[in-house]
Amino acid sequence: MVEGATRKATGELRLVELFREYDDFVAVNGIDLDVPPGSFFALLGPSGCGKTTTLRMIAGLEEPTSGRIFLGTDDITNTRAHQRRVNTVFQSYALFPHLNIIDNVGFGLRQLKVANWKTKAMEALELVKLADRAKQKPRQLSGGMQQRVALARAIVNEPEILLLDEPLGALDLKLRREMQIELKRIQQEVGITFIHVTHDQEEAMTMADTVAVMRAGRIEQLGEPAALYDKPATAFVANFLGQSNLLPIEVTAVAGDRTTVASHGTSLVVESGAIPTEAPDGLRLGIRPEKLRLVSANDSVWTNKLSGEVTDASFNGVSTTYLVRMPWGQELTVTQPNDGTARATLGEQVTIAWDPHHAFVIGAD
Amino acid sequence: MATNREPEFNPQLAAFARSAITRRTALGGLAAVAATGFLAACGTPGKAPTASAGASKTPLSAPDLSDTEKVVNWSNWPQYIDVNDKGKRPTLDAFIKESGIKVKYNEDYNDNDEFFAKVRPLLEAGKDTGRDVWCSTDWMVARLKRLGYIQPLDKANIPNAANLATSLTNVEFDPGRAFSLPWQSGFAGIAYNPKSTGGKAVTTIDQLLHDATLKGKVTLLTEMRDTVGLILMEQGKRLDNFTAEDFAAALQVLSDAKDAGQIKGFTGNDYTKPLASGDTAACVAWTGDVVQLRLDNPSLGFVLPEKGFTLWSDNFVIPAMAQHKKNAEKVINYYYDPKVMAEVAAYVNYIAPVQGVKEVLTKSDPSMANNDLIFPSDATLAKSQVFRGLTAEEETTFTRQFQALVTG
Amino acid sequence: MALVVPGVRPVKRRAVRRWGTFTPLILLAPAMLWLTVFFVVPTFSLASQSLQTGDIDNGFVLTWHFQTYAEALGRYWPQFLRSLIYAGSATVITLLVGYPLAWFIAHRSGRFKTMLLVLVIAPFFTNFLIRTLAWQIILTDTGPVTGFFRATGLIHVLQWLGLVTSDALLYSPFAVISGLAYNFLPFMVLPLYTSLERLDLRYLDAAGDLYANGWNTFWKVIWPLSLPGVVSGTLLTFIPAAGDYINSKLLGNTQTVMIGQVIDAQFLRVLDYPTAAALSFILMATIIVMVGLYVRAAGTEELV
Repeated sequence: MVEGATRKATGELRLVELFREYDDFVAVNGIDLDVPPGSFFALLGPSGCGKTTTLRMIAGLEEPTSGRIFLGTDDITNTRAHQRRVNTVFQSYALFPHLNIIDNVGFGLRQLKVANWKTKAMEALELVKLADRAKQKPRQLSGGMQQRVALARAIVNEPEILLLDEPLGALDLKLRREMQIELKRIQQEVGITFIHVTHDQEEAMTMADTVAVMRAGRIEQLGEPAALYDKPATAFVANFLGQSNLLPIEVTAVAGDRTTVASHGTSLVVESGAIPTEAPDGLRLGIRPEKLRLVSANDSVWTNKLSGEVTDASFNGVSTTYLVRMPWGQELTVTQPNDGTARATLGEQVTIAWDPHHAFVIGAD
Repeated sequence: MATNREPEFNPQLAAFARSAITRRTALGGLAAVAATGFLAACGTPGKAPTASAGASKTPLSAPDLSDTEKVVNWSNWPQYIDVNDKGKRPTLDAFIKESGIKVKYNEDYNDNDEFFAKVRPLLEAGKDTGRDVWCSTDWMVARLKRLGYIQPLDKANIPNAANLATSLTNVEFDPGRAFSLPWQSGFAGIAYNPKSTGGKAVTTIDQLLHDATLKGKVTLLTEMRDTVGLILMEQGKRLDNFTAEDFAAALQVLSDAKDAGQIKGFTGNDYTKPLASGDTAACVAWTGDVVQLRLDNPSLGFVLPEKGFTLWSDNFVIPAMAQHKKNAEKVINYYYDPKVMAEVAAYVNYIAPVQGVKEVLTKSDPSMANNDLIFPSDATLAKSQVFRGLTAEEETTFTRQFQALVTG
Repeated sequence: MALVVPGVRPVKRRAVRRWGTFTPLILLAPAMLWLTVFFVVPTFSLASQSLQTGDIDNGFVLTWHFQTYAEALGRYWPQFLRSLIYAGSATVITLLVGYPLAWFIAHRSGRFKTMLLVLVIAPFFTNFLIRTLAWQIILTDTGPVTGFFRATGLIHVLQWLGLVTSDALLYSPFAVISGLAYNFLPFMVLPLYTSLERLDLRYLDAAGDLYANGWNTFWKVIWPLSLPGVVSGTLLTFIPAAGDYINSKLLGNTQTVMIGQVIDAQFLRVLDYPTAAALSFILMATIIVMVGLYVRAAGTEELV
């Protein structure tokens, strides 16, 4: 069944001009993507952005309207799901209720006519620490255990690519954290390319080497989690990956790697490299709340400073989050780490400051 | 089956036995309620044979409510009475208007055996069947009479009984017609569809059972007396005096024909459709059906075999414990008026057992009056025979043998 | 109840416990009564009847006449066997026809689902007898169906299989089995539909993802998950079909007599109630044993 997909151990996936159109809307609107072998890749986006459709097309469960899918050098666009060395961990797990755990895990191996399927399936169960549950039925296991069985069932086949469709969505927070670490560990252990679909930015950033943020059927931005977080290219990415304070700016002067800009009459400094070359109009300056500091009014160290009134303060142990109203009415969010510095009180006039290196600039949408 | 019959009837003993049954049935009421048809018909375990074994039992009668309740419940075969274009029953409606007695006419008599199974548990328990009169075929009348399930008719209430056709006045199973009066009569003969016989006529039972061109396209009737009766006559026996050996020989002929694949099946009155369509080439058929079938399929042939054919009647009987016996007798009397019976005969196309009907119809519908299947000539009647009454033992043995063949 | 709660008097507790003990019995009473009245009593009555001897003139006496069973079975075993074969064939046919039909209605019919379900049940709006008689017309000698079988030579296949004896379709084992399959098809389709409609299509994705081709997806996933429907459908078809006598009576010939016809004749015409009861009992016992083995083999109690 898998002759056309004999193992070349590349695990490299390439999507070219991929489209999926339905009668009334376009789910995937032209995706070009290269996923290097052995990477942990995340497709991140809100529901309806086309990430699951993309995943299903890679799995062979859905046919693209146009475009090609390559696995290594093989064009697998026109092959059926069962002919692809790709396995999926489904959001619902989709464990076969009539089979016990070992038979669920061994299902793929038996289809592939692997002689020692039982041994391999047991090894996979040991990897997810469920060897003692081999003879039980899925419904006898908790959600977290079922999740791990689904994972074992997929990786036991040693696929070129493992697809994970919101695999942690049904788990509670604590379990989800544990599984995030567990998944990362297993990925490093087996070395298979993981493509992980999720709407949870934290989950994506925790696990993935590379994250692609999707929006309305397209990839909005692609990169390492830290790069995406620190230098988002669009307002959508900036807001989807955590919180941002966005200030409208106009460039007033460029001097080497420092550019002076004005926002609501206040002069601020940004790195010249941060200014996008296209779309020079409608620029906005973005600063993450945790990059802002509360400083004394007569401070002379920080280059970028703004003053305002504290309208809200919430303490959560690790940090305190303030809302500071600017003279023009906008409220900026400031997160102050609980590092012993003095805390501001409600109604207090404060000065906030940031390092130009910590700010980013985005163009108009 | 008791071998030594008690010649004398002991009413006291019989009454005791019956009351015992009744009481036991009352105790077992739960079971009787529970069990439908079959089970309700079950005998009670340990029930002693009644002392009257073999002899006719006296039927039970209930107080007659006829004078206070102007009602009569009549069960009859489907499509066996005149119906007009509006779906009304003219003769029945006229009776209701004239007498003020409301007739509840139920077409729930589809088959002698089925009907017997339905009413037997009630009659056996000495209970009212909810029916005051119904129409049973000759042999069933014999059985009902033997079991004490029907009451003698009060001829004082049926003066028109004098109009009964002379040939039917003295039948073997009911001498003097004390218990029964015929409703309609008919012959069983051979019907064929020329389309399927290749235009050939089928005139004898021998041909029906052996002609290779009819192979696998012949049906016979599940009515043993018609099917076996015709074969007996084919073999030159008489239906009023054949022996058990004659019967066995006739069954052998039937069995051979069946094994040879000549016979497709045994039917009730559902033989008509396949005959009309040609799926059945030839069959044993009843006159009334054939007359009606021919209205739509004039090419259908019907032959009364030269060697003889059966004559049967369905007869009015009044069951034991009937609540409205006198009203039932009034209904019978009404239909024994030739003018009334002529209307029924004109519709159902069977042989009317009432004298004077032909005269009435000669005036209104001469073509019908000349139909030999409705008003048979004396010559035709002379060739017809009536299956003799069977003893209880014979009835059991013959039926068992015949049914073993039918369902074998 | 093992804990002694201070302050609660034992008397009171006993009273509560007695209610607790009797409530299930009270709630069960209607069902038990129903079962007793409509099953236990008739069954015993039937058993008793089958061991009686006598006739309608002299009444029937319980004589523990087990001989009746031996005689009934000895004489009518071919009809028994035939009934089981015909009912089994009809069940297989209804399954082969009903399964794709149920799948289509459950997953492919879209907004026509309700209409199709109504159509499946539609034959029930007419009388059983009329429906069967309709097959006399469908299979009539001069009709298109028979014409088709003759023209394509399929009639020879049926002859070779022994399903027809001549070049006619009507009044043959073929006609009887067709009639049975037709009449009991809804009993197969409805439970199958319920089972398949409930089936989560994501299991199909999972199977394909795990290298199962179409056939293996069906055989390893869909089929086992639909087994409860298959089992109830086959039972609802097989059991009444095995006891049916209308189809063989109206569509069969003298060589296709089924056990239902024999029981009918023994009860209604011969008035040999013990033999009729014995035959019914044998039929019932045979079916119970077969159903028991079947359900065990199918292992439906293991399924969710």
